[in-house]
Amino acid sequence: MSPPHAPTEYPPILIPRSFTTTEGNKTGSWRFLRPRYDEKTAPCSVACPAGEDIGRIEMLVTQGLFKEAWETILLENPFPGVCGRVCHHPCEAVCNRHDFDEPIAIHVVERFLADMATRYDLRPKLPKLPPRPEKVAVVGAGPSGLAAAYFLTRLGYRCHVFEARNEPGGILRWGIPTYRLPEAVLKNEVVLLEAQGVEILCGKRMEMGFLEALRGEYAAVFLGCGHGRARPLVVPGSQLPGACTDGLQFLESIRLGFSPQLKGTVAVIGGGNTAVDVARSALRLGARPILIYRRRRGDMPAFPEEVEMALEEGVVLHELRTPVHIEPSPSGWSLTLQTMEPVGQPEGLPAEVRPIPGGVERMAVEKIFVAIGGEPADAFFAPPEVGAGTLKLGNCLLAWAGDGPPLVYGGDLTVEIQSVVHAVASGKEGAMALDVLFREGLEAVEPILASCRVGPGPALSMEVFLKGLRCRRNAHVVKYSEINTDHFTFAPRIAPPRLLREERIHGFAEIPLKISANLAMQEAGRCFHCGLCNQCDNCRLFCPEIAIHREETPRGRRIDYDYCKGCGICVVECPRNAMSLEEEEAS
Amino acid sequence: MWQVMEGSHAVAEAVRLAGVQVISAYPITPQTHIVERISEFCAAGLLEARFLRVESEHSALAALIGASTAGVRTFTATSSQGLAYMHELLHWASGARLPIVMAEVNRALAPGWNIWTDQTDSLSQRDTGWIQLYCEDGQEVLDTTLQAFRLAEWVNLPVMVVLDAFFLSHTHEPVQVPSQEEVDRFLPPFSPSFRLNTETPCAFNQLATPAVYMEMRYSIQQAMASALERFPQLEDAFQTIMGRRYGAVEEVSTADADVILVTSGTVTSTARGVVEALRNRGEKVGLLKIKLFRPFPAEAIRRHLRRAAKVAVLDRNFSFGAGGIFAQEVRAALCNLKDRPQVFGYIVGLGGRDVTPALITEICRKTWERAHPEEADEWMGLTEVPYESGTAGP
Repeated sequence: MSPPHAPTEYPPILIPRSFTTTEGNKTGSWRFLRPRYDEKTAPCSVACPAGEDIGRIEMLVTQGLFKEAWETILLENPFPGVCGRVCHHPCEAVCNRHDFDEPIAIHVVERFLADMATRYDLRPKLPKLPPRPEKVAVVGAGPSGLAAAYFLTRLGYRCHVFEARNEPGGILRWGIPTYRLPEAVLKNEVVLLEAQGVEILCGKRMEMGFLEALRGEYAAVFLGCGHGRARPLVVPGSQLPGACTDGLQFLESIRLGFSPQLKGTVAVIGGGNTAVDVARSALRLGARPILIYRRRRGDMPAFPEEVEMALEEGVVLHELRTPVHIEPSPSGWSLTLQTMEPVGQPEGLPAEVRPIPGGVERMAVEKIFVAIGGEPADAFFAPPEVGAGTLKLGNCLLAWAGDGPPLVYGGDLTVEIQSVVHAVASGKEGAMALDVLFREGLEAVEPILASCRVGPGPALSMEVFLKGLRCRRNAHVVKYSEINTDHFTFAPRIAPPRLLREERIHGFAEIPLKISANLAMQEAGRCFHCGLCNQCDNCRLFCPEIAIHREETPRGRRIDYDYCKGCGICVVECPRNAMSLEEEEAS
Repeated sequence: MWQVMEGSHAVAEAVRLAGVQVISAYPITPQTHIVERISEFCAAGLLEARFLRVESEHSALAALIGASTAGVRTFTATSSQGLAYMHELLHWASGARLPIVMAEVNRALAPGWNIWTDQTDSLSQRDTGWIQLYCEDGQEVLDTTLQAFRLAEWVNLPVMVVLDAFFLSHTHEPVQVPSQEEVDRFLPPFSPSFRLNTETPCAFNQLATPAVYMEMRYSIQQAMASALERFPQLEDAFQTIMGRRYGAVEEVSTADADVILVTSGTVTSTARGVVEALRNRGEKVGLLKIKLFRPFPAEAIRRHLRRAAKVAVLDRNFSFGAGGIFAQEVRAALCNLKDRPQVFGYIVGLGGRDVTPALITEICRKTWERAHPEEADEWMGLTEVPYESGTAGP
């Protein structure tokens, strides 16, 4: 209330009010809890072996910043077009939105961004470090070798990639059918990679003793040679001429342009992605493929979506069967199968199986494809046993042979799971390890890599390695219970258009169709952006003390601690846990 | 222009014509039609206002307290449990001297759940510092809502426009809707006595010590007294433009009446018919309708009732452990008169039970026959209720 000598604007109405500002009352002095902006880690980015900053990518897409979103992928992965198509997207399996309605279709948005970049012929603007004196040789232009060269180039190293074949890409070029990965998509991304300065030398097969040749010119060698050769099926009769066709070679011959006409029933032995690709390709060439796998469908290493599509297209799966004998028959081959049964069921692991006594089946087939895994084409590409003179990292292996340059074994031969994105992770890890090795020595490799993990890891972030803006994010992985779902509404996950089954099975055209920018923005807009501030302004709007102010900084706003009472409403109303509330330190 | 509309929509029309700037409400039967119609006006661009959808009645009124402090014309509507939930903020609105207008549709309080009319909800808020105006028909609802804004802004107190559930809120009647031009002449744009202004920052509704609190309360009472005093002037202005007036109280044939019925709300219309019928039979019965309940027009009530021998108050409400609320107020108004009439209290129509002409006629007869009222008010039309004492005793 005003004193008796109050100024003339004394109100006619007697209400309890002051006549001057009350800003002198610094309510911040009441505070014992302190809110602060504290960006955290989204579970998707942890699950992504390449450590893509997915929450941020989706946020940029929502804002229509497609080029920036695309570049954000490229910070961590040179292959958004490839991975948007063939990655098994472990990110989606851990998406917090799963507990709300359905996970974000992250791979659909990733593919959209890559297609958009191609359509507008965009060139990324990526941070690149000043040149370094060391040169690195990369053996194999598959995904791990290309990724290693890409990251090393960005770190300032000159790289030569030696590729035995006449085109780069490795498994992406020769082993994946075009209905999953059209050739142009790979080519576009290789062109961008070369534009960064990577030099790819094709038709350069490495022979025994190649290291001697590379010594002197190169300070290190990255070996991403992959599985150059299929693992053979060893059962009586399998060595007969023409009995078994190597699945990978079959896929390669299709990619080379030879498309044999097939007919009748064909058997495809194996349960991995190659086996499924072989079966689906054989179907397209006129055969009736039967996939033969020794464990159960759920145990197949092939990605479940691929298996589902194969079955949808007409591939038949015979699970719990293993070939034991092959003999010629008038119509082709007679394949003898032993039926199996699961023994126990260890949590999360493929079931152990054993033969059912007397469980023998015989089937007549035109052709037998074998896709039961691969091995290095040449023994000298195989990584050494882990031990003295080696350093085992998550997805690659550092080794020293005599006084030669350090070697990094990467790709399919050393990764945790054989997938494209693990190959990228392997290349990135190798690049970072070599950079640390050159600049700070061997002892620094493990601690520095450990400091670049996304959340608890194992994924590594180049953005953090380069100390970019997002390296400040807290390693805490946001849980669903930490999302304030009051601020979200249910929205169905995008169902991207696809070719009809009838259209698919007669050719090798890509199955998923392109989506519009509008749909991509809609899908990205479903993202919680776990742990990321997307400038929603809830903190400012809900602050009862008006103690949050907008400002022209990247963060966009500031807490005025003179008046913040520490009520915590801003933290509670942050929909995505991008703020934290902590006890004030005793003064 | 004459239009057939239900009472709820008569409120909404008045809100539209009054150019309310912020509406905040939470739905509750039987009030919902009011805010539904207003939201339609907003959506159609017929009313340029912010319509706030909130999560509770408590928030509905809290939001209006903010808006009204910022200096805009505000409106809300509620009923029964919703009003009870607003209780804390009812005090706040009057203590902060904010001219908020509310439509209150009388509905019984639970349990047992009952959506029908009963005045106990609004009457149990009589001490919150809100002006209360009880309406009889659709026309009065529209007119009173318009008057409410002017009255509220005149004396800086919140006003509750009270109407019976269903009998009034959901009943269609011909209502004369004034033109915008007529309303604008009666109700100027809101010019607040004080308002939040970031250019001259200050704090509202701070601590008030014992040294000042009592004066603040007294000033609210002064405003109430002023509202009572100015109500006829307000009606003069309204009548000049619209040609209608209602009075804080309205008397019907009280001058020579031996028995005067006292009513409020829609029961009044029924009572008018009964009075007319009894008069036609030569019985000297009169009627006093109380429209303005807070501030209580004690003087006018004394003036109209003092000559009668007996007064029969019909209460569609009850204060447990005491009696009908209007009856208590009327007794209090008369108690210092030397020759005062006997006041008979009757409890009628709780929870929406019909109050028929026959029931009112019976009330007249009972009042007529008895020399003195019983100590307790009489519950009319009750089936026998066995009394069960609690199991625990001293």
